[in-house]
Amino acid sequence: MANRQIIEETSNKTVYKEGDRIVKEFKPSHPKSNVFNEAYIHACVEEAGVSVPHIISVAPSADGGWALAMEYVEGTTLQQMMDDAPDKKEEYIEKLVDIQTEVCTHKVPKLRNTRYKMEDVISGMTEIDATARYELLQRIHGMKRHTRLCHGDFVPSNVVIRGDGSYCILDWAHATSGNAGADAAITYMRFSLQDPELAELYLKTYCRKADMALQYVQSWLPIVAAAQLTKHVPGEKDLLEQWVSVAEYQ
Amino acid sequence: MKNKTAAKITNVQELEARLKQMRAAQEIYAGYSQEQVDQIFRAAAMAACKARIPLARMAVEETGMGVVEDKVIKNHYASEYIYNQYRDTPTCGVIEEDKAGGMRKVAEPIGLIAAVIPTTNPTSTAIFKALLCLKTRNGIMISPHPRAKNCTIEAARIVYNAAVEAGAPENIIGWIDEPSLELTNTVMKECDCILATGGPSMVRAAYSSGKPALGVGAGNTPAIIDSTADIRLAVNSVIHSKTFDNGMICASEQSVIVLSDVYDEVKAEFAARGCYFLKGKEVKKVGGAVIINGSVNAKIVGQSAYKIAQIAGVDVPEKTKILIGEVESTDISEPFAHEKLSPVLAMYRAKDFEDALQKAEALVMEGGPGHTASLFVNTAEKEKMDAHAERMRACRIVINMPSSQGAIGDLYNFRLAPSLTLGCGSWGGNSISHNVGVMDLLNVKTVAERRENMLWMRLPEKIYFKRGCMPVALDELGTVMHKKKCFIVTDSFLYQNGYVRPIEEKLDEMGIRHTCFYDVAPDPTLQCAQEGTRQMTDFGPDVIIALGGGSAMDAAKIMWVMYENPDVNFEDMAMDFMDIRKRIYTFPEMGKKAYFVAIPTSSGTGSEVTPFAIITDKETGTKWPLADYELMPDMAVVDADNMMNQPKSLTSASGIDVMTHAIESYVSIMASDMTEGISLQATKLVFDYLPSAYINGANDPQAREHMALASTLAGEAFANAFLGVNHSMAHKLGAYHHIPHGVANALLLTYVMRYNANPAPAKMGTFPQYAYPHTLERYCDIARYNGLVGKDDQKTFDLLIKKLEELKKTIGIPASIREWGVSEEDFLATLDEMTENAFNDQCTGANPRYPLMSEIRELYLMAYYGRDTKEAAAL
Repeated sequence: MANRQIIEETSNKTVYKEGDRIVKEFKPSHPKSNVFNEAYIHACVEEAGVSVPHIISVAPSADGGWALAMEYVEGTTLQQMMDDAPDKKEEYIEKLVDIQTEVCTHKVPKLRNTRYKMEDVISGMTEIDATARYELLQRIHGMKRHTRLCHGDFVPSNVVIRGDGSYCILDWAHATSGNAGADAAITYMRFSLQDPELAELYLKTYCRKADMALQYVQSWLPIVAAAQLTKHVPGEKDLLEQWVSVAEYQ
Repeated sequence: MKNKTAAKITNVQELEARLKQMRAAQEIYAGYSQEQVDQIFRAAAMAACKARIPLARMAVEETGMGVVEDKVIKNHYASEYIYNQYRDTPTCGVIEEDKAGGMRKVAEPIGLIAAVIPTTNPTSTAIFKALLCLKTRNGIMISPHPRAKNCTIEAARIVYNAAVEAGAPENIIGWIDEPSLELTNTVMKECDCILATGGPSMVRAAYSSGKPALGVGAGNTPAIIDSTADIRLAVNSVIHSKTFDNGMICASEQSVIVLSDVYDEVKAEFAARGCYFLKGKEVKKVGGAVIINGSVNAKIVGQSAYKIAQIAGVDVPEKTKILIGEVESTDISEPFAHEKLSPVLAMYRAKDFEDALQKAEALVMEGGPGHTASLFVNTAEKEKMDAHAERMRACRIVINMPSSQGAIGDLYNFRLAPSLTLGCGSWGGNSISHNVGVMDLLNVKTVAERRENMLWMRLPEKIYFKRGCMPVALDELGTVMHKKKCFIVTDSFLYQNGYVRPIEEKLDEMGIRHTCFYDVAPDPTLQCAQEGTRQMTDFGPDVIIALGGGSAMDAAKIMWVMYENPDVNFEDMAMDFMDIRKRIYTFPEMGKKAYFVAIPTSSGTGSEVTPFAIITDKETGTKWPLADYELMPDMAVVDADNMMNQPKSLTSASGIDVMTHAIESYVSIMASDMTEGISLQATKLVFDYLPSAYINGANDPQAREHMALASTLAGEAFANAFLGVNHSMAHKLGAYHHIPHGVANALLLTYVMRYNANPAPAKMGTFPQYAYPHTLERYCDIARYNGLVGKDDQKTFDLLIKKLEELKKTIGIPASIREWGVSEEDFLATLDEMTENAFNDQCTGANPRYPLMSEIRELYLMAYYGRDTKEAAAL
């Protein structure tokens, strides 16, 4: 217990480093199935050969909750690198996109499909009215059925670059099997909420490198924005609502 | 009026139950007559038309989009114009009939139609689709958009009540009361066809439902205003269209592309009519307010220009009609390049017409592939209009009209069908490229009765016959036709033995200049014909005389073709056909330069009266069999005086060839009353006179003359009824093993006849006149015509076979191919190739049995070893 080094504390979990492992200790209120599900997704991705921290254990914690232990990865996140060298933004965005497109080449059919996950989120949300939900569900329904590995929160802070230049991707709780366009839309949205200029740079770079039509990524934005609304992050509401409130061409 | 509405549909069970009721109703409605349907259609249209104002008001109130007065027009249009368009269109039962052709088209309903209705035109689209379904005896389940459900349902209810009042079965129209994606998808999966109008996601969902769908796509109409356009008409048309229902019609102009030299004039006209040109930063502000992440902001759809300006934080006069952004990029990164579903318009400057076309092309493909493109131009500018129509990948190209009202049809052009569902073709990912109408909602059965194929009888213009007719016939060339130059084609034997002299003398007497080409060898070559053509072209005749056997006549026909049409391609001309009147290749017209006279010197090929010729390319070894009625000689001169001294072998081979022509043409699937008598008479002449002609030669001139006529008669018959597999096999047997054509025919004849006589063949020939296998009876006709009568058909047929065998023996035909002198080794080595080529021969198609290759092979083997012909009957 003595050498626990707390990294992050949120309303439902504490993340700490203990020796050569990272432990995510969830509060007893956090559903057991969520913890096992996260471990399951993580293990699936690990088995698919993506560079991720190895899962070590899922075990009961002292206070009656569950804790997920995984290998500690030595290195620097892309976020830190960008913060340390703002003039090298373009280089790091290129790197981020390269890694994201590489991850997307994997297929992990055991994971839930992006479309179904989004359908569930949208169907259950109360933040928007029934008409808006109808339109979003119709939009999802019209999306193509793809089966690419999508991280679900592919942001620079989840990408660790090791000393030898190799990478390792963290936080697989939201991963799905589905449309790479949706994954890019989430990353773009996360950038936009922080730094719109960087968001534009990312989107341009992504579409160029992934050879994907801008419209295709954009067509996912109302959906991912609606899903993000359910998280109630202060300060995000206005932009997200604006993004959700679009009509389809007729 | 009594309200016919049944229980509400808010979940899948209720929906399933209603769909069941609707199916039952539709089954009843499917039995309604055209008259009943037309009454219902009229009553429903009338009711919708009467309710146009309250429905318009409801739609604007509920959706918060559009203009009441314009929606009134849409409702009026959806009822009146659709009724008017289809009031007299037959949609029930027989809708088209061709009694002579034996063809009827019968219209049947599809069943249950799923109709997805958009928010932009809710009431008018519901009226439109419900009326189409009533007219076509379909049931319709309407799936409204949640934002427009009340007005959509009300429109459907009005049409439904009126229809039921007029006699339609209850439940023929239904709707979902509480729309959800689950219910919409259920309807799409359970109906028989989907009429999907709306955004791309919904249309994609419709197409992927697994049911046939008539989905239509988004538009992004560019309007080019050319330098030659009537500027006032152009600008005011755009304003009229773009402000209509606040720009919500999918065909509405999204951009104007103005030619540089009239740009200022156009701009001034827009401004003078109350449009606002966005200045400086205003362009970006409005662009950002209208388009969010490449999609149109739901809050501005169908709003007025003033309200949109307010949302964007731009000050404009309250009565502003359209907000115009002058922009340069047609790329999707430019908000103004998108479909805006509002009175917001992009304006581009084009340096020339080509630049305008490029911009318009890009805009159509970026935002509305396959939808609509508009052009304002002086209609004298045909080239510009053609270029525009050719370049735009749009299914509606509207010229000099407001595109909203223009593209929906019947308002600014009266040949474009009125519709509120506009197909965008494959460019827009749609199954249809036209304006949807009643014909799209029908299953049309074609009832086709068996009819006989048309036939004709083609012969030379004149056939001179009887001994001594040649000088009389030639006289006509001079005295009646006034020919000036004659080109004679013959072989060296005939030339050197003086056969040409009487012709030349007659021509000299009439003052017709002449020359003679006498290098034709047996199996004439293309090279020989080319040389003849060269000389013919130099000489420039207005009449060609072919004197000789099949070779000279064939070579002369080929020279004739090349002389008349120097650019012909033999490969094309020789292309096999199933029906000579349906062939792909159109034979060049003959006779423009020269009149063709054929004078046979042997009695065999019948080439003087047939449209056939065969030529061999010496360099490649390819044989080109040509067949077309253009190759028919104009005149045939059958004068037995030219045939008296045929050698015995020729008399035998060509004589039995005549018999084969007569028999095959008589049993051909294309034989007809026109040819049958001719075939029969030819068989009789051969049976009666060939033995003497063979034995006595010139000493029995009567036999010679009868054989000459037999040959021409058989030629007339097979020129029109064609031949059969006997000839197919003989052609290849002769070619592979150097057997004279007539002998090859004779070696196969009785085997093929036994084979053809089988009353239960593996396959019969395909021709409408050929009702069932009846070849045995046909052979018996020939037998009886020749006085052979057995106690039944089989015995009669046996007698015919026996008589043929006797004839063959009399004229020295060997008993088998082996006996002719073909070695077993050579024969077997070529057998498979010969078989396939014989199968592929042009003559095979008319044979009464459609032969299998294995059967042809077996026949060859039997004829090779001289086996009992009865074995062929078992094939």
